[in-house]
Amino acid sequence: MTSIDAPIARIAVIGGGIVGWSAAVALRRRVPGVAVTIVATPPPPDALADRIAQTLPSTIGFHDDLGLGEDDAVLRAGGVWRLGTEFEDWAPGRPPYVHAYGSCGQPFGTASFHHHWLRAARDGTAAPFEAHAPAAMLARAGRMPIPPTGIVAEAQAAVMLDVPRYRAMLEAFARHLGVEVRDGDVATVRLRGEDGFVDAVLLADGSAVTADVFVDAAGPGAVVRGAIDDAWEDWQRWLRCDRLVTAEGAAERSTGLDRVQAMPAGWRWRTPTPDRTSHGCCYASAFMSDADAQQVLAAAGATAMTPAVAFRQGTRPEPWARNCVAIGDAATVIEPLEFTNLHLAHSAIDRIVAMLPGRACHPLEIADYNRQAQAEVVRVRDFVLCHYATAQRAEPFWRDLPALPDSLARTLAAFRERGRLPFFEEETFSRDDWLTVLIGQGAMPRRIDPLIETTDVADSERAMAAYRAAIGQAVSRCPDLDAYLHSQRKRLGR
Amino acid sequence: MVVVGGGTSGWMAATALAKLLPSRCTVELVESEAIGIIGVGEATLPHIRAFNERLGIVEAEFMAATRATFKLGIEFRDWGRIGDSYIHPFGTFGRGSGEVQFHHYYTRLLRDGVPLPPIESYSMACSLARANRFGQPARDPQQIASTFGYAYQFDAVAFAPYLRRIAEGLGARRTEGRIVAAERDSRSGDVTALVLEDGRRVQGDLFVDCSGFVALLIGKELAEPFEDWSRWLPADRAVAIPCRTATAVTPYTSAIAMPSGWRWRIPLQHRTGNGYVFASDFLSESAATDALLGAVEGTPLADPRILRFKAGRRARSWVNNVVAVGLASGFLEPLESTSLYLVQQAITALIELFPEKRIAPVDRDEFNRLINMEYDRVRDFLILHYHATERDDSPFWTYVRTMPIPDSLAEKMALFKRRGRVVKYREGAFLDASWVSVYLGQRVVPTGADPRAAAPSTDSLVAGLDRMRGEIAAAVGAMPAHAAFLAGYCPMRAAT
Repeated sequence: MTSIDAPIARIAVIGGGIVGWSAAVALRRRVPGVAVTIVATPPPPDALADRIAQTLPSTIGFHDDLGLGEDDAVLRAGGVWRLGTEFEDWAPGRPPYVHAYGSCGQPFGTASFHHHWLRAARDGTAAPFEAHAPAAMLARAGRMPIPPTGIVAEAQAAVMLDVPRYRAMLEAFARHLGVEVRDGDVATVRLRGEDGFVDAVLLADGSAVTADVFVDAAGPGAVVRGAIDDAWEDWQRWLRCDRLVTAEGAAERSTGLDRVQAMPAGWRWRTPTPDRTSHGCCYASAFMSDADAQQVLAAAGATAMTPAVAFRQGTRPEPWARNCVAIGDAATVIEPLEFTNLHLAHSAIDRIVAMLPGRACHPLEIADYNRQAQAEVVRVRDFVLCHYATAQRAEPFWRDLPALPDSLARTLAAFRERGRLPFFEEETFSRDDWLTVLIGQGAMPRRIDPLIETTDVADSERAMAAYRAAIGQAVSRCPDLDAYLHSQRKRLGR
Repeated sequence: MVVVGGGTSGWMAATALAKLLPSRCTVELVESEAIGIIGVGEATLPHIRAFNERLGIVEAEFMAATRATFKLGIEFRDWGRIGDSYIHPFGTFGRGSGEVQFHHYYTRLLRDGVPLPPIESYSMACSLARANRFGQPARDPQQIASTFGYAYQFDAVAFAPYLRRIAEGLGARRTEGRIVAAERDSRSGDVTALVLEDGRRVQGDLFVDCSGFVALLIGKELAEPFEDWSRWLPADRAVAIPCRTATAVTPYTSAIAMPSGWRWRIPLQHRTGNGYVFASDFLSESAATDALLGAVEGTPLADPRILRFKAGRRARSWVNNVVAVGLASGFLEPLESTSLYLVQQAITALIELFPEKRIAPVDRDEFNRLINMEYDRVRDFLILHYHATERDDSPFWTYVRTMPIPDSLAEKMALFKRRGRVVKYREGAFLDASWVSVYLGQRVVPTGADPRAAAPSTDSLVAGLDRMRGEIAAAVGAMPAHAAFLAGYCPMRAAT
């Protein structure tokens, strides 16, 4: 029997944004007996996962695993619930569509729901696809999926963070858990002679941070992981946006629905909350100037403009090398369309917890981690890219995408042929998420799946209408999101 | 739409297509009564239940007609070492919920030096099987009795006619005749018609090749290459003998390792199927027959039959307008009861990707990708059974113990040996618990701990495990004997 390497005793997290603090808390809390040090350098402005306030429902699952309830992780940290996004002008001539989080339709007969819907759409009798999605209808109505029973349980809420307060909450929690906090910038990274492992991170004041494993959450510069290698898979030929301007506007009623509107050279968002309205403009510098982007947001009522941030989309094919794993923007830089940034970071943290190797970071264990991480990231990229690949706009920014990645090409080909979506391991977005975007942007299959023919058209129509009616009734019983938020804040005395 | 061959796979395909795509195709099945079907008593995986349900098959009626019994898993005897026995269950170990899998805690306690019974004591499916009891799983996920599934053991010779009645009721047409030739389109290479011995022609747009090992269309006609896996799975013969059931009807299949392979024991209501799967490089057919006759319990009901095969699969199962299903597409020995599972996956994929008259390459490629993935994953799982052994008592076991294995399997085994990690995927026949049962059952034990399993104290873990065994014992005790359940639920009809 071969002897095995000793367990990891200490992990150092580099980076003091919400990604770094999330990692420090999760590792300390969920891996028994591991000591955690964080080098809490404030994240650079181009660390998108540390900056973007909109998150996916997975954030709530991440909180659950930490034992953090909604009162602490959402309400006391200044968060509000968000239910989904309304996409506008991505396919001119088509109505805006809502992508919220949950199922769409109910299967009946021998075929999945969407085949019923696609047949009705072909015949010109279909109600909007989203009318069969409880989550989308709740988002349109601005109502909370509460109580989560029956049809309402099909919808999941996500969180819109108040980033500085959320970071402060995580920091307080980390200190409470006994995470060692070090301040200062990283000056150099010292590699071990014999195997190239990270030996220590030296701070500007000359002190050293040592650990068995280093988690690089320092933003796209990847100051630690980058000391090992700089292999990078570039996505810019497909994902052309490379600038972001954010701003704030006046407080409004919270609807839980943000608006994401396509523009001639990118897109912009607008998310109203009772504390402020969040604005952002994501664009390609080759087609739009920073001044024009700021002008767009100003015209939408935004003030408190941040300077434009430059980024370049892509990923590290091997986020984990030797004893260093990159997360957040150190691993993957992706535009905030669909707000996957913090989700990817949280998912990487979950994966580190679940797959933590021993001190030797055996190549097989690292390869298994990288295989899963890569599979996940590639499909998130595909989902974001799908918005561009199926958009129908005429401006130069939107035209002439080069050949798509194989995985996305396969999804699109299968859908366009017959409305089928192939299965991928580690997929973040469900089949219904994909369908919402594909159908919302007008990508329709060439033919109807023959499996649907065993169900009469009239039966399909009846079942769909009954489900829409049931959604309508269920939604009308749910509380108004803004009123609910205020009542919860009042309960906590805020 | 023409189905070539009327064995189990042929009638499964014909029934499913007639049921689910009635307006899209007319199903014609060509078979010859002169050609026998390979039906040796079939053990299945739980997936078959979803397939039957989709076809509208009533479980009790189907079980009575095929003299079926319930199956909670497979018992493996003498694999890791002579004298070992474990069950690969259809169900989880522990409750199967929670972030950290049960086996991490279990193996941690073993390493801590705590004496524990085998891991199967913490599986509802295994415990039910060992007690020879059966009951339907509970629906409430809180109950321990919800943590198992089941499949069937049935008479495959009776299953095909049972399906045939359903298929013909749905409008499928059966044509009797021996196929002597196929006509092809000279430009595309597509098959256009089958020519029967008496000169009749059967035309079609799509041909489903269920002709078995002969592989009439995919092999003989289209010459699709066969990927030979016999260097990893050297067994290439089986000898089969049905016996009168001598002992209680067990709710599980047994796979008992033999000096040059293994033998199956599949209990049906009226008889027990037995067979010895062996490698002809190591054992002659007559010696294998003698060994089997010496090992079986009960009186033989027929003469021994020899089957010859080779492990592997076609490079592609769908070529031109020919879709191979079952033995025509590939063969993996029945060690983990995957034969009908692979048939079912092929039929399901064909229905999901059913083409128009002009076949879209995107559909065909996707079908081949899916089917190849299924075969490859089952292959690795089967090789594990042979390779993870300490047996050195025969040249056969020494060969499989020391043979080079595929990289994909070597990596999986190394990851488990280090820290008990099971390579994760959501699709495929065998998920976490299956791999864990074979690893631990064949003495592949992790040397290191999953750090997440370190938190609870030894005492609290042991107490939790004891409680779980108590819960399982109570749930098992509340269920009837397997034979009694069968007698009340689906007594077999008189043999026809």
